[in-house]
Amino acid sequence: MSTIKEYLSLGHSHCDELFANMEDAVAKDVNTSIEAYLEFADETERHFQMEERIMFLEFETKTGMIEGPTAMMRHEHTQMRKLIGDIKVSIEDKNKDKFFGNSETLMILMQQHNMKEEQMLYPMAQQHLSAQSNRIIDMMQSMVVKK
Amino acid sequence: MDLNGLSSDQAPPISAPLRFFLTAPLFGILAGILIFLGDADNLSSRYSLESIAITHAITIGFVSFVMLGALTQMLPVLAGISIARVGLVAKLSHLALSSGTIFMIYGLMQNVASLMLISSILLTIGFLIMILSMLVAFRNVKNITASVRAIFISLVFALIVVLMGAQLLSSYGISKLASFHFILANIHSVWAIFGFAGVLIIGVSFHILPMFYVAPRFKQFCKKRVVWLITIGLILWLVLNIFFDLYTVVAKIWIATFFWAFSTTVWKKLSARRRPISDVTVWYWRVATVFMTLGTFSWAINDFYDEKYIVMVSILIGGGFILSIMLGMLYKIVPFLVWFHLNAKGYMSIPNMNEMINKNLAKSQFLLFMISLIGFMFSYYYIEILPVFATTFILSMLILEYNIISPVLIYIRTIKTKPEFDMSAFNISVEGIE
Repeated sequence: MSTIKEYLSLGHSHCDELFANMEDAVAKDVNTSIEAYLEFADETERHFQMEERIMFLEFETKTGMIEGPTAMMRHEHTQMRKLIGDIKVSIEDKNKDKFFGNSETLMILMQQHNMKEEQMLYPMAQQHLSAQSNRIIDMMQSMVVKK
Repeated sequence: MDLNGLSSDQAPPISAPLRFFLTAPLFGILAGILIFLGDADNLSSRYSLESIAITHAITIGFVSFVMLGALTQMLPVLAGISIARVGLVAKLSHLALSSGTIFMIYGLMQNVASLMLISSILLTIGFLIMILSMLVAFRNVKNITASVRAIFISLVFALIVVLMGAQLLSSYGISKLASFHFILANIHSVWAIFGFAGVLIIGVSFHILPMFYVAPRFKQFCKKRVVWLITIGLILWLVLNIFFDLYTVVAKIWIATFFWAFSTTVWKKLSARRRPISDVTVWYWRVATVFMTLGTFSWAINDFYDEKYIVMVSILIGGGFILSIMLGMLYKIVPFLVWFHLNAKGYMSIPNMNEMINKNLAKSQFLLFMISLIGFMFSYYYIEILPVFATTFILSMLILEYNIISPVLIYIRTIKTKPEFDMSAFNISVEGIE
Protein backbone atom coordinates (compact mmCIF):
# COMPACT_ATOMS: atom_id res chain seq x y z
CA MET A 1 0.00 0.00 0.00
CA SER A 2 1.18 3.53 -0.75
CA THR A 3 2.05 6.10 1.88
CA ILE A 4 -0.24 9.01 2.82
CA LYS A 5 2.11 11.30 0.91
CA GLU A 6 1.99 9.20 -2.25
CA TYR A 7 -1.75 8.62 -2.02
CA LEU A 8 -2.69 12.28 -1.65
CA SER A 9 -0.05 13.47 -4.17
CA LEU A 10 -1.58 11.12 -6.75
CA GLY A 11 -4.90 12.77 -5.99
CA HIS A 12 -3.38 16.12 -6.99
CA SER A 13 -2.26 14.77 -10.36
CA HIS A 14 -5.70 13.28 -10.95
CA CYS A 15 -7.38 16.63 -10.17
CA ASP A 16 -4.93 18.40 -12.55
CA GLU A 17 -5.94 16.01 -15.29
CA LEU A 18 -9.65 16.63 -14.70
CA PHE A 19 -8.97 20.37 -14.57
CA ALA A 20 -7.31 20.20 -18.00
CA ASN A 21 -10.27 18.16 -19.32
CA MET A 22 -12.62 20.86 -18.08
CA GLU A 23 -10.64 23.63 -19.79
CA ASP A 24 -10.53 21.56 -22.97
CA ALA A 25 -14.28 21.06 -22.84
CA VAL A 26 -14.94 24.78 -22.39
CA ALA A 27 -12.48 25.71 -25.15
CA LYS A 28 -14.33 23.36 -27.52
CA ASP A 29 -17.92 24.17 -26.56
CA VAL A 30 -18.98 25.89 -23.38
CA ASN A 31 -22.56 24.61 -23.82
CA THR A 32 -21.57 21.00 -23.26
CA SER A 33 -18.84 21.52 -20.68
CA ILE A 34 -20.81 21.24 -17.44
CA GLU A 35 -20.18 17.50 -17.18
CA ALA A 36 -16.41 17.96 -17.30
CA TYR A 37 -16.79 20.73 -14.73
CA LEU A 38 -18.75 18.48 -12.37
CA GLU A 39 -16.23 15.71 -12.70
CA PHE A 40 -13.44 18.08 -11.72
CA ALA A 41 -15.40 19.87 -8.98
CA ASP A 42 -16.62 16.61 -7.38
CA GLU A 43 -13.20 14.99 -7.37
CA THR A 44 -11.56 18.11 -5.95
CA GLU A 45 -14.21 18.37 -3.24
CA ARG A 46 -13.61 14.73 -2.42
CA HIS A 47 -9.89 15.39 -2.09
CA PHE A 48 -10.52 18.41 0.18
CA GLN A 49 -12.81 16.39 2.42
CA MET A 50 -10.40 13.44 2.62
CA GLU A 51 -7.91 15.91 4.03
CA GLU A 52 -10.20 18.04 6.18
CA ARG A 53 -12.31 15.25 7.67
CA ILE A 54 -9.63 12.58 8.01
CA MET A 55 -5.97 13.36 7.46
CA PHE A 56 -5.89 16.87 8.94
CA LEU A 57 -7.87 15.72 11.98
CA GLU A 58 -5.53 12.80 12.58
CA PHE A 59 -2.54 15.10 12.15
CA GLU A 60 -3.95 17.71 14.52
CA THR A 61 -4.82 15.11 17.15
CA LYS A 62 -1.39 13.53 16.98
CA THR A 63 0.69 16.73 16.92
CA GLY A 64 -1.58 19.16 18.74
CA MET A 65 -0.92 21.67 15.94
CA ILE A 66 -4.36 23.11 15.32
CA GLU A 67 -3.51 26.60 14.15
CA GLY A 68 -0.49 25.47 12.12
CA PRO A 69 -0.20 24.31 8.53
CA THR A 70 -3.57 22.53 8.47
CA ALA A 71 -5.39 25.76 9.32
CA MET A 72 -3.59 27.47 6.44
CA MET A 73 -4.51 24.62 4.08
CA ARG A 74 -8.15 24.72 5.18
CA HIS A 75 -8.18 28.43 4.48
CA GLU A 76 -6.84 27.84 0.98
CA HIS A 77 -9.45 25.12 0.40
CA THR A 78 -12.05 27.78 1.13
CA GLN A 79 -10.47 30.14 -1.38
CA MET A 80 -10.50 27.37 -3.99
CA ARG A 81 -14.11 26.38 -3.26
CA LYS A 82 -15.12 29.98 -3.87
CA LEU A 83 -13.29 30.02 -7.23
CA ILE A 84 -14.75 26.65 -8.23
CA GLY A 85 -18.18 28.16 -7.53
CA ASP A 86 -17.30 31.21 -9.67
CA ILE A 87 -16.21 28.88 -12.47
CA LYS A 88 -19.59 27.18 -12.40
CA VAL A 89 -21.36 30.53 -12.70
CA SER A 90 -19.18 31.52 -15.68
CA ILE A 91 -20.01 28.21 -17.41
CA GLU A 92 -23.72 28.70 -16.73
CA ASP A 93 -23.45 32.26 -18.09
CA LYS A 94 -21.55 30.90 -21.12
CA ASN A 95 -18.90 33.53 -20.40
CA LYS A 96 -15.65 32.03 -21.73
CA ASP A 97 -13.48 35.04 -20.85
CA LYS A 98 -14.63 34.99 -17.26
CA PHE A 99 -14.21 31.22 -17.19
CA PHE A 100 -10.58 31.32 -18.34
CA GLY A 101 -9.79 34.20 -15.98
CA ASN A 102 -11.15 32.23 -13.05
CA SER A 103 -9.62 28.95 -14.18
CA GLU A 104 -6.19 30.58 -14.56
CA THR A 105 -6.44 32.01 -11.06
CA LEU A 106 -7.62 28.70 -9.64
CA MET A 107 -4.87 26.83 -11.44
CA ILE A 108 -2.06 28.84 -9.86
CA LEU A 109 -3.71 28.91 -6.46
CA MET A 110 -4.24 25.16 -6.65
CA GLN A 111 -0.69 24.45 -7.77
CA GLN A 112 1.03 26.52 -5.13
CA HIS A 113 -1.31 24.95 -2.57
CA ASN A 114 -0.43 21.44 -3.78
CA MET A 115 3.26 22.26 -3.68
CA LYS A 116 3.03 23.43 -0.09
CA GLU A 117 1.20 20.26 0.87
CA GLU A 118 3.62 18.00 -0.99
CA GLN A 119 6.69 19.86 0.25
CA MET A 120 5.68 20.49 3.82
CA LEU A 121 2.50 19.01 5.15
CA TYR A 122 2.53 15.52 3.62
CA PRO A 123 6.11 14.75 4.67
CA MET A 124 5.23 15.96 8.19
CA ALA A 125 2.07 13.87 8.21
CA GLN A 126 3.92 10.84 6.95
CA GLN A 127 6.48 11.28 9.70
CA HIS A 128 3.91 11.57 12.48
CA LEU A 129 1.31 9.16 11.18
CA SER A 130 3.39 6.44 9.51
CA ALA A 131 2.23 3.75 11.97
CA GLN A 132 -1.41 4.46 11.10
CA SER A 133 -0.77 5.04 7.41
CA ASN A 134 -2.81 2.05 6.15
CA ARG A 135 -5.77 2.76 8.41
CA ILE A 136 -5.89 6.43 7.37
CA ILE A 137 -5.69 5.62 3.66
CA ASP A 138 -8.49 3.03 4.10
CA MET A 139 -10.63 5.65 5.79
CA MET A 140 -9.97 8.17 3.05
CA GLN A 141 -10.78 5.63 0.34
CA SER A 142 -14.07 4.61 1.92
CA MET A 143 -15.15 8.14 2.85
CA VAL A 144 -18.53 9.29 1.54
CA VAL A 145 -18.43 12.88 0.33
CA LYS A 146 -20.74 15.21 2.25
CA LYS A 147 -22.75 17.51 0.04
CA MET B 1 -10.16 32.56 13.31
CA ASP B 2 -7.61 35.23 12.40
CA LEU B 3 -7.35 34.85 8.67
CA ASN B 4 -4.86 37.67 8.23
CA GLY B 5 -2.56 36.03 10.73
CA LEU B 6 -2.71 32.78 8.84
CA SER B 7 -1.64 34.17 5.54
CA SER B 8 0.95 36.60 6.81
CA ASP B 9 2.53 33.93 9.00
CA GLN B 10 3.00 31.58 6.09
CA ALA B 11 3.47 33.73 3.03
CA PRO B 12 6.04 36.52 2.74
CA PRO B 13 4.57 40.04 2.76
CA ILE B 14 3.55 41.14 -0.71
CA SER B 15 6.01 44.04 -0.51
CA ALA B 16 9.00 41.65 -0.45
CA PRO B 17 8.75 40.43 -4.05
CA LEU B 18 6.91 43.49 -5.40
CA ARG B 19 9.59 46.02 -4.51
CA PHE B 20 12.03 44.04 -6.68
CA PHE B 21 9.56 43.46 -9.51
CA LEU B 22 8.50 47.10 -9.76
CA THR B 23 12.08 48.37 -9.82
CA ALA B 24 13.31 45.92 -12.48
CA PRO B 25 11.67 47.56 -15.55
CA LEU B 26 13.02 50.96 -14.41
CA PHE B 27 16.55 49.61 -14.78
CA GLY B 28 15.45 48.20 -18.14
CA ILE B 29 14.40 51.69 -19.20
CA LEU B 30 17.70 53.11 -17.94
CA ALA B 31 19.64 50.49 -19.92
CA GLY B 32 17.63 51.42 -23.02
CA ILE B 33 18.40 55.10 -22.59
CA LEU B 34 22.11 54.37 -22.14
CA ILE B 35 22.13 52.25 -25.31
CA PHE B 36 20.31 55.06 -27.13
CA LEU B 37 22.90 57.61 -26.05
CA GLY B 38 25.83 55.21 -26.19
CA ASP B 39 28.91 55.39 -28.34
CA ALA B 40 28.74 52.68 -31.00
CA ASP B 41 32.38 51.64 -30.77
CA ASN B 42 32.29 51.37 -27.00
CA LEU B 43 29.11 49.32 -27.08
CA SER B 44 30.54 46.67 -29.35
CA SER B 45 33.50 46.15 -27.04
CA ARG B 46 32.83 43.78 -24.19
CA TYR B 47 35.22 45.36 -21.71
CA SER B 48 34.51 49.05 -22.29
CA LEU B 49 33.28 50.68 -19.09
CA GLU B 50 30.15 51.76 -20.93
CA SER B 51 29.32 48.19 -21.96
CA ILE B 52 29.95 46.94 -18.44
CA ALA B 53 27.61 49.61 -17.04
CA ILE B 54 24.78 48.83 -19.48
CA THR B 55 25.20 45.08 -19.07
CA HIS B 56 24.84 45.41 -15.30
CA ALA B 57 21.80 47.67 -15.56
CA ILE B 58 20.22 44.57 -17.12
CA THR B 59 21.92 41.73 -15.26
CA ILE B 60 21.69 43.24 -11.77
CA GLY B 61 18.96 45.84 -12.20
CA PHE B 62 16.57 43.66 -14.13
CA VAL B 63 17.48 39.96 -14.04
CA SER B 64 18.79 39.70 -10.47
CA PHE B 65 15.98 41.87 -9.14
CA VAL B 66 13.33 39.66 -10.71
CA MET B 67 15.06 36.46 -9.63
CA LEU B 68 15.59 37.56 -6.02
CA GLY B 69 12.03 38.89 -5.78
CA ALA B 70 10.65 35.67 -7.21
CA LEU B 71 12.74 33.56 -4.84
CA THR B 72 11.29 35.29 -1.76
CA GLN B 73 7.93 34.11 -2.99
CA MET B 74 8.91 30.75 -4.42
CA LEU B 75 11.09 29.32 -1.65
CA PRO B 76 8.15 28.81 0.74
CA VAL B 77 6.20 27.10 -2.04
CA LEU B 78 8.85 25.11 -3.90
CA ALA B 79 11.10 24.22 -0.97
CA GLY B 80 8.70 24.60 1.97
CA ILE B 81 11.04 27.02 3.74
CA SER B 82 10.72 30.65 4.80
CA ILE B 83 13.45 33.26 4.86
CA ALA B 84 13.74 34.65 8.39
CA ARG B 85 12.49 38.28 8.62
CA VAL B 86 11.91 38.23 4.90
CA GLY B 87 10.28 41.68 4.87
CA LEU B 88 13.30 43.34 6.44
CA VAL B 89 15.81 41.29 4.43
CA ALA B 90 14.07 42.23 1.17
CA LYS B 91 13.88 45.90 2.15
CA LEU B 92 17.57 46.20 3.10
CA SER B 93 18.79 44.15 0.17
CA HIS B 94 16.62 46.12 -2.26
CA LEU B 95 17.90 49.42 -0.90
CA ALA B 96 21.56 48.37 -1.12
CA LEU B 97 21.18 46.82 -4.56
CA SER B 98 19.21 49.73 -6.08
CA SER B 99 21.62 52.38 -4.84
CA GLY B 100 24.61 50.13 -5.59
CA THR B 101 23.50 49.57 -9.19
CA ILE B 102 22.88 53.28 -9.79
CA PHE B 103 26.26 54.24 -8.32
CA MET B 104 27.96 51.52 -10.33
CA ILE B 105 26.42 52.68 -13.60
CA TYR B 106 27.15 56.35 -12.91
CA GLY B 107 30.64 55.58 -11.58
CA LEU B 108 31.59 53.51 -14.63
CA MET B 109 30.05 55.87 -17.20
CA GLN B 110 31.65 58.98 -15.68
CA ASN B 111 34.76 57.22 -14.40
CA VAL B 112 34.24 58.24 -10.77
CA ALA B 113 36.51 56.01 -8.68
CA SER B 114 34.86 56.66 -5.31
CA LEU B 115 31.43 55.69 -6.68
CA MET B 116 32.81 52.46 -8.09
CA LEU B 117 34.22 51.56 -4.67
CA ILE B 118 31.03 52.50 -2.81
CA SER B 119 28.91 50.59 -5.31
CA SER B 120 31.04 47.46 -4.99
CA ILE B 121 30.44 47.54 -1.22
CA LEU B 122 26.71 48.24 -1.55
CA LEU B 123 26.17 45.56 -4.17
CA THR B 124 28.08 42.98 -2.15
CA ILE B 125 26.06 43.78 0.95
CA GLY B 126 22.78 43.79 -0.99
CA PHE B 127 23.40 40.43 -2.61
CA LEU B 128 24.91 38.77 0.45
CA ILE B 129 22.02 39.73 2.75
CA MET B 130 19.61 38.02 0.42
CA ILE B 131 21.68 35.05 -0.75
CA LEU B 132 22.96 34.12 2.72
CA SER B 133 19.48 34.45 4.25
CA MET B 134 18.19 32.06 1.63
CA LEU B 135 21.07 29.61 1.99
CA VAL B 136 20.58 29.57 5.77
CA ALA B 137 16.86 28.89 5.33
CA PHE B 138 17.72 25.73 3.38
CA ARG B 139 18.61 24.06 6.69
CA ASN B 140 14.90 23.51 7.24
CA VAL B 141 14.14 21.74 3.98
CA LYS B 142 12.12 18.60 4.71
CA ASN B 143 11.74 17.24 1.21
CA ILE B 144 14.77 17.60 -1.07
CA THR B 145 13.54 17.62 -4.65
CA ALA B 146 15.37 18.27 -7.90
CA SER B 147 14.14 21.87 -7.84
CA VAL B 148 15.34 22.43 -4.30
CA ARG B 149 18.77 21.09 -5.19
CA ALA B 150 18.98 23.24 -8.33
CA ILE B 151 17.96 26.42 -6.48
CA PHE B 152 20.56 25.72 -3.81
CA ILE B 153 23.32 25.15 -6.38
CA SER B 154 22.37 28.28 -8.30
CA LEU B 155 22.58 30.31 -5.10
CA VAL B 156 26.05 28.95 -4.40
CA PHE B 157 27.06 30.04 -7.91
CA ALA B 158 25.46 33.42 -7.20
CA LEU B 159 27.50 33.80 -4.04
CA ILE B 160 30.78 33.13 -5.86
CA VAL B 161 29.79 35.36 -8.79
CA VAL B 162 29.02 38.24 -6.41
CA LEU B 163 32.38 37.95 -4.66
CA MET B 164 34.18 37.90 -8.01
CA GLY B 165 32.13 40.90 -9.10
CA ALA B 166 33.12 42.80 -5.97
CA GLN B 167 36.80 42.21 -6.72
CA LEU B 168 36.40 43.25 -10.37
CA LEU B 169 34.43 46.40 -9.67
CA SER B 170 36.65 47.58 -6.83
CA SER B 171 39.73 47.07 -8.97
CA TYR B 172 38.28 49.60 -11.43
CA GLY B 173 37.72 51.81 -8.40
CA ILE B 174 41.40 51.75 -7.43
CA SER B 175 42.46 51.80 -11.09
CA LYS B 176 44.58 48.73 -10.63
CA LEU B 177 43.60 45.71 -12.67
CA ALA B 178 45.08 42.43 -11.52
CA SER B 179 46.96 40.23 -14.00
CA PHE B 180 44.08 37.76 -13.86
CA HIS B 181 41.43 40.49 -14.23
CA PHE B 182 40.06 39.43 -17.60
CA ILE B 183 40.12 35.74 -16.76
CA LEU B 184 38.16 36.50 -13.61
CA ALA B 185 35.75 38.70 -15.54
CA ASN B 186 35.14 35.87 -17.98
CA ILE B 187 34.49 33.36 -15.18
CA HIS B 188 32.26 35.90 -13.44
CA SER B 189 30.06 36.32 -16.51
CA VAL B 190 29.93 32.66 -17.58
CA TRP B 191 29.09 31.41 -14.09
CA ALA B 192 26.51 34.17 -13.64
CA ILE B 193 24.73 33.30 -16.87
CA PHE B 194 24.90 29.51 -16.81
CA GLY B 195 25.48 28.77 -13.13
CA PHE B 196 23.22 31.29 -11.43
CA ALA B 197 20.54 32.22 -13.97
CA GLY B 198 20.65 29.06 -16.10
CA VAL B 199 20.59 26.51 -13.29
CA LEU B 200 17.91 28.50 -11.44
CA ILE B 201 15.69 28.61 -14.51
CA ILE B 202 16.15 24.89 -15.12
CA GLY B 203 15.37 24.03 -11.49
CA VAL B 204 12.27 26.17 -11.32
CA SER B 205 10.99 24.99 -14.68
CA PHE B 206 10.89 21.36 -13.43
CA HIS B 207 7.91 22.51 -11.42
CA ILE B 208 6.57 25.52 -13.27
CA LEU B 209 5.88 23.84 -16.60
CA PRO B 210 3.96 20.81 -15.30
CA MET B 211 2.23 23.06 -12.75
CA PHE B 212 1.08 26.03 -14.79
CA TYR B 213 0.46 24.37 -18.12
CA VAL B 214 -0.23 20.77 -17.05
CA ALA B 215 2.68 19.77 -19.30
CA PRO B 216 4.19 16.27 -18.97
CA ARG B 217 6.62 15.98 -16.09
CA PHE B 218 10.37 16.04 -16.74
CA LYS B 219 12.08 12.65 -16.87
CA GLN B 220 13.93 11.50 -13.76
CA PHE B 221 17.26 11.56 -15.63
CA CYS B 222 16.71 15.20 -16.49
CA LYS B 223 15.66 16.14 -12.98
CA LYS B 224 18.36 14.18 -11.20
CA ARG B 225 21.39 14.61 -13.46
CA VAL B 226 21.24 17.67 -15.70
CA VAL B 227 22.02 20.24 -13.03
CA TRP B 228 24.99 18.18 -11.81
CA LEU B 229 26.24 17.66 -15.36
CA ILE B 230 26.07 21.39 -16.01
CA THR B 231 27.84 22.11 -12.73
CA ILE B 232 30.61 19.66 -13.63
CA GLY B 233 30.81 21.33 -17.06
CA LEU B 234 31.18 24.76 -15.49
CA ILE B 235 33.94 23.59 -13.14
CA LEU B 236 35.71 21.81 -16.00
CA TRP B 237 35.42 24.98 -18.08
CA LEU B 238 36.93 26.97 -15.20
CA VAL B 239 39.95 24.65 -14.97
CA LEU B 240 40.48 24.60 -18.74
CA ASN B 241 40.03 28.36 -18.95
CA ILE B 242 42.76 28.96 -16.39
CA PHE B 243 45.27 26.23 -17.28
CA PHE B 244 44.51 24.89 -20.78
CA ASP B 245 42.92 27.78 -22.57
CA LEU B 246 43.10 26.07 -25.97
CA TYR B 247 40.75 23.30 -24.88
CA THR B 248 37.94 25.35 -23.33
CA VAL B 249 35.79 24.55 -26.33
CA VAL B 250 35.39 20.98 -25.01
CA ALA B 251 33.76 22.20 -21.80
CA LYS B 252 31.76 24.80 -23.70
CA ILE B 253 30.26 22.18 -26.00
CA TRP B 254 29.54 20.03 -22.93
CA ILE B 255 27.61 22.86 -21.25
CA ALA B 256 25.95 23.95 -24.51
CA THR B 257 24.70 20.41 -25.16
CA PHE B 258 22.80 20.24 -21.88
CA PHE B 259 21.27 23.69 -22.27
CA TRP B 260 20.27 22.79 -25.80
CA ALA B 261 18.76 19.52 -24.53
CA PHE B 262 16.91 21.46 -21.87
CA SER B 263 15.58 23.97 -24.40
CA THR B 264 14.39 21.21 -26.70
CA THR B 265 12.73 19.42 -23.80
CA VAL B 266 10.91 22.60 -22.77
CA TRP B 267 9.66 23.10 -26.33
CA LYS B 268 8.40 19.50 -26.47
CA LYS B 269 6.75 19.71 -23.04
CA LEU B 270 4.96 22.89 -24.04
CA SER B 271 3.73 21.25 -27.23
CA ALA B 272 2.39 18.33 -25.20
CA ARG B 273 0.78 20.50 -22.52
CA ARG B 274 -2.76 19.63 -21.54
CA ARG B 275 -4.05 23.18 -21.06
CA PRO B 276 -5.40 24.78 -24.23
CA ILE B 277 -4.50 28.35 -23.25
CA SER B 278 -1.80 30.19 -25.18
CA ASP B 279 -0.86 33.54 -23.70
CA VAL B 280 2.24 35.73 -23.70
CA THR B 281 3.80 33.60 -20.99
CA VAL B 282 3.73 30.58 -23.30
CA TRP B 283 5.10 32.69 -26.14
CA TYR B 284 7.93 33.90 -23.92
CA TRP B 285 8.86 30.33 -22.98
CA ARG B 286 8.77 29.28 -26.64
CA VAL B 287 11.02 32.06 -27.90
CA ALA B 288 13.35 31.56 -24.94
CA THR B 289 14.05 27.99 -26.05
CA VAL B 290 14.80 29.09 -29.61
CA PHE B 291 17.12 31.89 -28.50
CA MET B 292 18.89 29.59 -26.04
CA THR B 293 19.51 26.93 -28.66
CA LEU B 294 21.07 29.52 -30.97
CA GLY B 295 22.87 31.33 -28.16
CA THR B 296 24.41 28.38 -26.43
CA PHE B 297 26.03 26.98 -29.57
CA SER B 298 27.17 30.41 -30.73
CA TRP B 299 28.89 30.72 -27.37
CA ALA B 300 30.47 27.27 -27.68
CA ILE B 301 32.12 28.07 -31.02
CA ASN B 302 32.61 31.77 -30.33
CA ASP B 303 36.35 31.30 -29.76
CA PHE B 304 36.85 30.40 -33.42
CA TYR B 305 35.47 33.75 -34.52
CA ASP B 306 36.03 37.35 -33.63
CA GLU B 307 35.91 37.86 -29.85
CA LYS B 308 33.48 40.67 -30.58
CA TYR B 309 30.77 38.13 -31.44
CA ILE B 310 30.34 37.70 -27.70
CA VAL B 311 28.02 40.73 -27.90
CA MET B 312 25.75 38.71 -30.19
CA VAL B 313 25.90 35.75 -27.80
CA SER B 314 24.89 38.05 -24.93
CA ILE B 315 21.86 39.28 -26.87
CA LEU B 316 20.81 35.72 -27.68
CA ILE B 317 21.29 34.23 -24.22
CA GLY B 318 20.90 37.24 -21.92
CA GLY B 319 18.08 38.92 -23.82
CA GLY B 320 16.46 36.08 -25.70
CA PHE B 321 16.61 33.38 -23.06
CA ILE B 322 16.99 34.84 -19.58
CA LEU B 323 15.06 38.11 -20.00
CA SER B 324 12.26 36.40 -21.92
CA ILE B 325 11.68 33.91 -19.14
CA MET B 326 11.81 36.64 -16.47
CA LEU B 327 9.24 38.66 -18.43
CA GLY B 328 6.92 35.70 -18.88
CA MET B 329 7.17 34.93 -15.18
CA LEU B 330 6.31 38.49 -14.15
CA TYR B 331 3.05 38.27 -16.11
CA LYS B 332 1.99 35.26 -14.06
CA ILE B 333 3.38 36.02 -10.66
CA VAL B 334 2.37 39.70 -10.14
CA PRO B 335 -1.38 39.33 -10.82
CA PHE B 336 -1.45 36.13 -8.79
CA LEU B 337 0.27 37.74 -5.80
CA VAL B 338 -2.19 40.61 -5.83
CA TRP B 339 -5.17 38.26 -6.10
CA PHE B 340 -3.81 35.91 -3.43
CA HIS B 341 -3.02 38.59 -0.86
CA LEU B 342 -6.32 40.44 -1.35
CA ASN B 343 -8.23 37.20 -1.16
CA ALA B 344 -6.39 36.13 1.97
CA LYS B 345 -7.33 39.43 3.57
CA GLY B 346 -10.98 38.61 2.98
CA TYR B 347 -11.65 40.66 -0.16
CA MET B 348 -13.57 38.21 -2.30
CA SER B 349 -15.15 40.39 -4.98
CA ILE B 350 -11.96 41.28 -6.82
CA PRO B 351 -10.91 40.90 -10.46
CA ASN B 352 -9.45 37.52 -11.41
CA MET B 353 -5.85 37.28 -12.66
CA ASN B 354 -6.68 37.73 -16.33
CA GLU B 355 -8.62 40.90 -15.63
CA MET B 356 -5.67 42.63 -13.98
CA ILE B 357 -3.41 43.07 -17.01
CA ASN B 358 -4.64 44.27 -20.38
CA LYS B 359 -3.98 41.37 -22.77
CA ASN B 360 -3.39 43.61 -25.78
CA LEU B 361 -0.82 45.65 -23.89
CA ALA B 362 0.93 42.46 -22.82
CA LYS B 363 1.02 41.34 -26.46
CA SER B 364 2.35 44.74 -27.59
CA GLN B 365 5.04 44.55 -24.93
CA PHE B 366 6.04 41.08 -26.16
CA LEU B 367 6.15 42.24 -29.77
CA LEU B 368 8.22 45.34 -29.01
CA PHE B 369 10.64 43.26 -26.97
CA MET B 370 11.09 40.76 -29.80
CA ILE B 371 11.59 43.56 -32.35
CA SER B 372 14.23 45.08 -30.06
CA LEU B 373 16.13 41.80 -29.69
CA ILE B 374 16.21 41.10 -33.40
CA GLY B 375 17.01 44.76 -34.06
CA PHE B 376 19.93 44.66 -31.63
CA MET B 377 21.38 41.72 -33.55
CA PHE B 378 21.14 43.54 -36.87
CA SER B 379 22.55 46.67 -35.25
CA TYR B 380 25.73 44.70 -34.74
CA TYR B 381 26.27 45.01 -38.51
CA TYR B 382 24.44 48.28 -39.15
CA ILE B 383 25.28 50.32 -36.08
CA GLU B 384 23.33 53.38 -37.27
CA ILE B 385 20.01 51.59 -36.70
CA LEU B 386 20.78 50.92 -33.02
CA PRO B 387 18.90 54.00 -31.64
CA VAL B 388 15.69 52.79 -33.31
CA PHE B 389 15.82 49.53 -31.41
CA ALA B 390 16.97 51.16 -28.21
CA THR B 391 13.72 53.13 -28.51
CA THR B 392 11.56 50.03 -29.03
CA PHE B 393 13.33 48.45 -26.05
CA ILE B 394 12.59 51.48 -23.85
CA LEU B 395 8.95 51.37 -24.98
CA SER B 396 8.68 47.66 -24.19
CA MET B 397 10.06 48.29 -20.69
CA LEU B 398 7.70 51.25 -20.16
CA ILE B 399 4.72 49.11 -21.11
CA LEU B 400 6.02 46.32 -18.87
CA GLU B 401 6.19 48.71 -15.93
CA TYR B 402 2.64 49.87 -16.65
CA ASN B 403 1.45 46.26 -17.00
CA ILE B 404 2.80 45.18 -13.64
CA ILE B 405 1.85 48.40 -11.85
CA SER B 406 -1.79 47.91 -12.91
CA PRO B 407 -2.43 44.91 -10.61
CA VAL B 408 -0.51 46.65 -7.81
CA LEU B 409 -2.79 49.68 -8.16
CA ILE B 410 -5.81 47.37 -7.88
CA TYR B 411 -4.27 46.07 -4.66
CA ILE B 412 -3.70 49.55 -3.23
CA ARG B 413 -7.15 50.77 -4.26
CA THR B 414 -8.87 47.76 -2.72
CA ILE B 415 -7.00 48.10 0.55
CA LYS B 416 -7.74 51.84 0.68
CA THR B 417 -11.42 51.72 -0.21
CA LYS B 418 -12.04 48.60 1.90
CA PRO B 419 -15.07 47.22 0.08
CA GLU B 420 -17.42 45.12 2.23
CA PHE B 421 -15.90 41.83 3.29
CA ASP B 422 -17.71 38.90 1.80
CA MET B 423 -17.14 36.24 4.42
CA SER B 424 -19.85 33.86 3.26
CA ALA B 425 -17.32 31.57 1.64
CA PHE B 426 -15.58 31.03 4.95
CA ASN B 427 -18.77 29.80 6.62
CA ILE B 428 -18.73 26.84 4.27
CA SER B 429 -15.25 25.99 5.46
CA VAL B 430 -16.15 26.18 9.12
CA GLU B 431 -19.13 23.89 8.58
CA GLY B 432 -16.96 21.57 6.56
CA ILE B 433 -14.64 20.99 9.49
CA GLU B 434 -15.92 18.29 11.76
